[in-house]
Amino acid sequence: MALLSKEASLALVQQVHRLIGMKNGVAPHDAPRPRPQRNAPRPGAERFDVIVVGAGPAGSAAALVAARAGLKVLLLERGEYPGAKNVSGAAFYGSAILHDLIPNWWEQAPVERYLTRRVLAFMTAETSVAIDFRTTRFAEPPYNGFSILRPKFDRWFADQAVAAGAFLLNAAVVDEVLWEDDQVVGVRVRRDEGDLRADVVIACDGANSFLAKNAGLQREFHAHEMSLGVKEVLALDEAIIRERFHLHDNDGLAIEYIGAITEEVSGGGFLYTNRDSLSLGVIGQISSLAEHKRRPYELLETFKRHPAVAPLVRGGRVREYSAHIIPEAGWNMLPKLYTGGMLVAGDAAALCFVAGLYLEGINYAIQSGIAAGETAVAAHQERDFSARSLARYVERLRARHVITDFANYRHAPALVNSPRLQNLYPEIIAAGAEQVFRVNGGPKRKLLPIALEALRRAQVSPVHVLQDALQAGRSFGW
Amino acid sequence: MRIAVCLKQVPDPATVEVDPLTAALDTRRMLYIAGPADTAALELALRLAGPTGQVSALCVGPPAADAVLRMALAVGATEVRRLWVPPFLSLQAPAQTALLLAAGLQRATIPDLVLCGARSSDQGSGQAPALLAEFLDWPVVCDVTQIAMEGDRVRVQRRLDRGAREELEVRLPAVLAVEANLARLRHASLPGLMRAERASVPVSHLEDLGLEPADLAFPTASVRAVTPPRPRTRPIFTPDSTRPAHERITQIITAGVTRKSGKVLEGPPAQMADAVVEFLRERGFV
Ligand SMILES: Cc1cc2nc3c(=O)[nH]c(=O)nc-3n(C[C@H](O)[C@H](O)[C@H](O)COP(=O)(O)OP(=O)(O)OC[C@H]3O[C@@H](n4cnc5c(N)ncnc54)[C@H](O)[C@@H]3O)c2cc1C
Repeated sequence: MALLSKEASLALVQQVHRLIGMKNGVAPHDAPRPRPQRNAPRPGAERFDVIVVGAGPAGSAAALVAARAGLKVLLLERGEYPGAKNVSGAAFYGSAILHDLIPNWWEQAPVERYLTRRVLAFMTAETSVAIDFRTTRFAEPPYNGFSILRPKFDRWFADQAVAAGAFLLNAAVVDEVLWEDDQVVGVRVRRDEGDLRADVVIACDGANSFLAKNAGLQREFHAHEMSLGVKEVLALDEAIIRERFHLHDNDGLAIEYIGAITEEVSGGGFLYTNRDSLSLGVIGQISSLAEHKRRPYELLETFKRHPAVAPLVRGGRVREYSAHIIPEAGWNMLPKLYTGGMLVAGDAAALCFVAGLYLEGINYAIQSGIAAGETAVAAHQERDFSARSLARYVERLRARHVITDFANYRHAPALVNSPRLQNLYPEIIAAGAEQVFRVNGGPKRKLLPIALEALRRAQVSPVHVLQDALQAGRSFGW
Repeated sequence: MRIAVCLKQVPDPATVEVDPLTAALDTRRMLYIAGPADTAALELALRLAGPTGQVSALCVGPPAADAVLRMALAVGATEVRRLWVPPFLSLQAPAQTALLLAAGLQRATIPDLVLCGARSSDQGSGQAPALLAEFLDWPVVCDVTQIAMEGDRVRVQRRLDRGAREELEVRLPAVLAVEANLARLRHASLPGLMRAERASVPVSHLEDLGLEPADLAFPTASVRAVTPPRPRTRPIFTPDSTRPAHERITQIITAGVTRKSGKVLEGPPAQMADAVVEFLRERGFV
């Protein structure tokens, strides 16, 4: 199987548990780390204008932009092909962005369904209350979002960079960045004579970026800043999918689940429709997984058995299973985004937006990849690869609303992962809805008393509720 | 020394996906590699040829097979060539493969030695090396487990059944089909990998090889239909209804497994012979 096998995923989970220390769920992040030794490239190393590490959405976008400007670009990927090891839901909400880069990209790219229906479901163990949004306006080009399967999509996207003139090298793992006088001047690949030179290195090597840490741009992470996603693709007949999810030909739906789905673990669930399969998974905050000693794949099984989910996945046969780390804490995790000769983009820069109803990484990866590519092109025009020159990357990210989104939503991750939002409010919403809809011969009751009674029963003081409401407002409202 | 290696493109087992609904192979994400016996042959070729020798690699296959030849270039093959006859060879018979390889070899400088993998990891009939030798009219040794060069001769060890080995001496030029565990292919260096990635792989078609379609008209198998495998039925044990109840219960408990019982005959030869004949007659054999 192209993606991680179940065994490999379990091994990853165990490794994560070990890394963070099961006892307290806190990463030993404060331990001072010796600064890695800085090596220079060996003489005779081949030279490129730009080396992009990692052919995910961020890397392919950066390589495409730089290659189109006529630069000599090398795109290095550790997998046997781009996407071979990439995992994601995946609902891709960057259609308009990609449309700017490759007009009508959906006509040639391997997409599954365009998303016209989005559902946000609050769950308790037996109940679910959902907001169901559906619009035909998302069924018109350039569309709002698509469900995609990453192994196919990433391969196609990397091919676009190759068509623009980038040189793609698979089966090449980058082990370190190479330096000369406090300036990054290349990378070392894990092969004989593996040194390569470049004026600009763009690190797009995904979550928990080895390169950003190796270059001293990123700190070690706290366990509460990382989540582990486990995901399955279930094969299901196309006609059944259309019937079951009330879909027309090629439109699709994305459901995000909040609440008891992950039991006491902070996180959530998702389900997306593909052409003839479903992508579904759960995401659990690593610190709370550790604290409650829960294995993410157990949560996935619980999720699939939930009365609101079970009928949706009935008859689906597992086609692939995979696990991956997601940077979650947004703004607070952003590394230093550049140094002399180097830029960091995508998940490597922790530019993954995770906050309850949002799970968006691919669009920000592409945005930041484009910004990094443009910065490298501008640096080449001026022949200035110093940190001062590359600092304009941050302006470009701001212009593309990347930095601003993360800044505006900087309070959201903490709120979304708070126990009240994770469990209590979904509980209250579900219990309240039940009271509203239940007919048992008693008097019909109005909403406010029901809500107040539910809060009283849960022993939550109105002060807390007000605090959370303000916090939610600050996070999502204004 | 000039050595030619024949590589077959086979699906990378890590990328073989079976559609859970139809049980058909999903070829869309399949990647092609050279099988373990073929890569062992390539490694041996590189070692035997040494730094000054020539190693050329040949592969009969569609454009996707270029990946296999690029891999050979990356580890140090000096020359590669892909042979292909679309769409004639959609189902490749070993005789067709061997004839194309022979033609391909004869078009270039004739090598001193041809190394093949003993068996491909997909079909694994192991016929191509022997057929190739037949077309070249060269000696061939299959299932080779050891090779030592001695001037214009090569001493080889061959695997026979039940762990037996046979030592042979062959005069060059010859075809040797080597076993998978004979050598492990080296890792490509980064410059090697980049060089290979940039190289264009030359292709020869029928006319380049001096062949006609009729030359390839060997009797071959053709695919009529593909049906998903049916789950194997498991026979359910039913006890012999003519036996008394307690025996039937014992039969059920032991699931019908009975020990084989034998009978040892004793006495003078004539008497024993009579007993055997009687035994066979009872059971309707004579
Ligand atoms: C379970 C799950 C569900 C998700 N769902 C969604 C979703 O629905 N929508 C959404 O927008 N986002 C989703 N995300 C987030 C999204 O997957 C990421 O934000 C996105 O993939 C980031 O892209 P990237 O290019 O930065 O990194 P990646 O896609 O991770 O790509 C990194 C690439 O770098 C390569 N690489 C890594 N290290 C090296 C090295 N040392 N040398 C060479 N190559 C290297 C890797 O092989 C990989 O190809 C999800 C994530 C998970 C885990």
